[in-house]
Amino acid sequence: MTSPGLLAAAGQVGEGFFHERSSGTLPCQARTSHLFCFDWARENIDRYGTPTVQHLELVVFSLLLGFAVAFVLALLAHRTRWLRPPLLASTGVLYTIPSIAFFFLLLPITGRGRDTAIIVLAAYTLQIIYRNTMVGLDNVPESAKDAARGMGFTERQILWRIELPLATPEIVAGLRIASLSTVAIATLAVFAGAGGLGTQIYGQGNLTFPTTIIIAGGIAILMALALDIMLLLVQRLTTPWRKAAAA
Amino acid sequence: MPSGASGSETQSQSSSEASSVRYEEATKCYPGASEPAVDALTLEVPAGEICVLVGPSGCGKTTAMRMVNRTVDITSGDILIGGSSVREREPAQLRREIGYVIQQIGLFPHRTISENIGAVPQLLGWKKERTRERSAELLALVGLDPELGDRYPAQLSGGQQQRVGVARALAADPLVMLMDEPFGAIDPINRERLQNEFLRLQAEIRKTVLFVTHDIDEAIKMGDRIAIMREGGRVQQYATPAELLMAPANEFVEDFVGADRALKRLALMRVADINLWEAPLAYVGQATAEVRAKLAAPDVEIPYPLLVDGERRPLGWLSERDLERDVVPAQADSPLGPVLELADVMRDALADLLQHESQYAPVVDHRGRIAGVLSVEIISEFLASPQAKSDEHSAVERPHD
Amino acid sequence: MSAPYPLLASFGGAIEFIFTPQESNVTGGKKVGGFDKVVELMLKQLEVTALALALALIIALPIGLWLGHRGKGELLAIGIGNAGRAIPELALIALVAALIGVGLLNLTPALAVIGIPPILTNAYTGVRQVDRPTVDAARGIGMTELEIIRRVELPMAIPTVMGGIRGAAIAILATATIAPLAGVESLGDFIINENVYGDNGVLAGALLVALMALALEGSLAFLQSRLTSDGLKLKTV
Repeated sequence: MTSPGLLAAAGQVGEGFFHERSSGTLPCQARTSHLFCFDWARENIDRYGTPTVQHLELVVFSLLLGFAVAFVLALLAHRTRWLRPPLLASTGVLYTIPSIAFFFLLLPITGRGRDTAIIVLAAYTLQIIYRNTMVGLDNVPESAKDAARGMGFTERQILWRIELPLATPEIVAGLRIASLSTVAIATLAVFAGAGGLGTQIYGQGNLTFPTTIIIAGGIAILMALALDIMLLLVQRLTTPWRKAAAA
Repeated sequence: MPSGASGSETQSQSSSEASSVRYEEATKCYPGASEPAVDALTLEVPAGEICVLVGPSGCGKTTAMRMVNRTVDITSGDILIGGSSVREREPAQLRREIGYVIQQIGLFPHRTISENIGAVPQLLGWKKERTRERSAELLALVGLDPELGDRYPAQLSGGQQQRVGVARALAADPLVMLMDEPFGAIDPINRERLQNEFLRLQAEIRKTVLFVTHDIDEAIKMGDRIAIMREGGRVQQYATPAELLMAPANEFVEDFVGADRALKRLALMRVADINLWEAPLAYVGQATAEVRAKLAAPDVEIPYPLLVDGERRPLGWLSERDLERDVVPAQADSPLGPVLELADVMRDALADLLQHESQYAPVVDHRGRIAGVLSVEIISEFLASPQAKSDEHSAVERPHD
Repeated sequence: MSAPYPLLASFGGAIEFIFTPQESNVTGGKKVGGFDKVVELMLKQLEVTALALALALIIALPIGLWLGHRGKGELLAIGIGNAGRAIPELALIALVAALIGVGLLNLTPALAVIGIPPILTNAYTGVRQVDRPTVDAARGIGMTELEIIRRVELPMAIPTVMGGIRGAAIAILATATIAPLAGVESLGDFIINENVYGDNGVLAGALLVALMALALEGSLAFLQSRLTSDGLKLKTV
């Protein structure tokens, strides 16, 4: 039994069939087996503008929010050891819950729309950013901290001038991974009524139209790649000592 | 030398002087431990001297050192630097006035060498230009190429890194230096070089240094004064190296110093420090009758004449057969054997004597002219004499090349 | 933000939906929901998840372990891992439905594709992280390469490898939630078809999927714990 949604979508396309002129050729989008309709793509490229911008907004805000929260949690856990297991567990739980389910769980509380989507997407990034920040901080050589303490650095100075700079590669690595998955999951934001590229995949009969799926998916993948490269550059710029060491 | 920026006025010393360090019944008890890690330590380190704390693992030497800059907090008692109690100071402030060098070096990987050296000046608020100048100055002082200032620690060898560690500790012109097994993680060859370099440095800057090591040889080499400790930081003997080697206070010290302590003493002196015997000299072309007359003298110490040239440079030992002729020949029957120099370390001189199985070896000065003759007998006589103790050199003047 | 009482009411309605068949507006009198239906869909979702996971394991695990053992193909293993995260699941499912066809047979490989990257990457890194001296010692006492993998590297890599498998399982389960779009039934049915199942159904579906995911993660974590030797457990933070 196929879902009602799928049937409805098929019905719409079928309508398009019958109203076609009798020139003998069907328009590209009516032939569901056709992989990619270049003409259609050229003509309709505009419709991807807004969803792409929405998608980008969702991703960026979620990453910012997720990073802010995870960073603060990591700083807390770094100072207070007993917080570590519970925080690791709770961020893990948030990661485990599938995002669609999460969207709708929040529905009664935050309603439909961008806010819900951003909260869920941010929650999804918490685990990886938190874990990577913790690992980065833990990997700071004890000898450097010992020397710093003995030289007269305060604990706060050690954190901000030594530990965090040295943890940056791990933190940015976590951000990169988080950005990849956030871009991918944001396609589901359509279910939360938050727009994004998912609207071009699931919505008004798009489901059986490969071209739009490919375009939307392709844009998402490109966006992920672009973010990844940007963050990689950020990492390179903020850690000159690693490049030197490798030389 | 420029003094550090004046933030706190609680230090009455001007920073280019070193300060004395005095432990007054300083005690450290860790919670839950039955015995104190350091038990009522009382010790005075005079300004400008290197005091080595040495002992077996766990004896509390590192703990005692760390109590000075309060990286280990003092449970009871006090430590005074230049007369001021360290307990009254705010720890971070205090530490910025004390140089700190640790075994694992601990350079900051993400900062350049120059920035590493300038770490404390930066904390003290020095101007950037001044910090940069100071870094370059110190790089030169520890024998490193100033170009290295822009590199990162990962690009330097272990020995170079620790030199930077020392430079970093000296940056703000501290009153006292704490060094915790600083050369322990370095390979033996570079370790010796670093030790020598540091002694050379110390000859110039004369800091008060508290040096911790578990290696008695390093202690003897580096220390003006040595404190041998047992568990609880209990000092068994606090004395100069010569005293330690000649008169160990108890069995523990004796065992710790080692059964070869007599030989260890020999490493502390040069051939020039001893009274050498004289050999009757025979010049080329001299009448052999004169030489025989010298041999017959009542106070002659060595029964063999030494052949020397016009410049009094030794050429060989003359035999009976040589003396049968009228004139001293240009070449001697017996070869010279090992020739020692006044500047030689006594231990090496003894090794040479023993290796060549020579009874006597001529000793020359830096121009090759005879100064005397050394024998194993002379050395052992000297070791037994009370004069040996009082003729001690300070650490920086001892042979360490 | 709703006030607490309506909140509880919504969840109450959802709980009801799970256990008792409800009236629906769309299907003309036929009841929807209820315990039997819930269990049926849950099992269907688990079925497709298990199949896809098994397929992913068969493909990715041997490759990942072997690459890690030989120390080759790091770029490939890590690259695939990263690329895999960027796959938009919705696009994948929709594409499969549109191009290949609907149904379990068509969807399972697609879901397996989602599960392959984490398993591959973690198998690789898990084996790579095994102490090299330990492997050398094993080789030295005469173990064959296969024996080394089986007896030394795999046991020591279990935490990382299982981590990858858990990640894959959760990712597959999450994607299986939208499987109804490709003709495979799952609990996601309740969520996607709001017009049929109503608010209560949607919330119920969300709750059930969340709980199922947590239960799956929990049981796999337990399995990992049983499989990890006690000696290794001492090492972990």
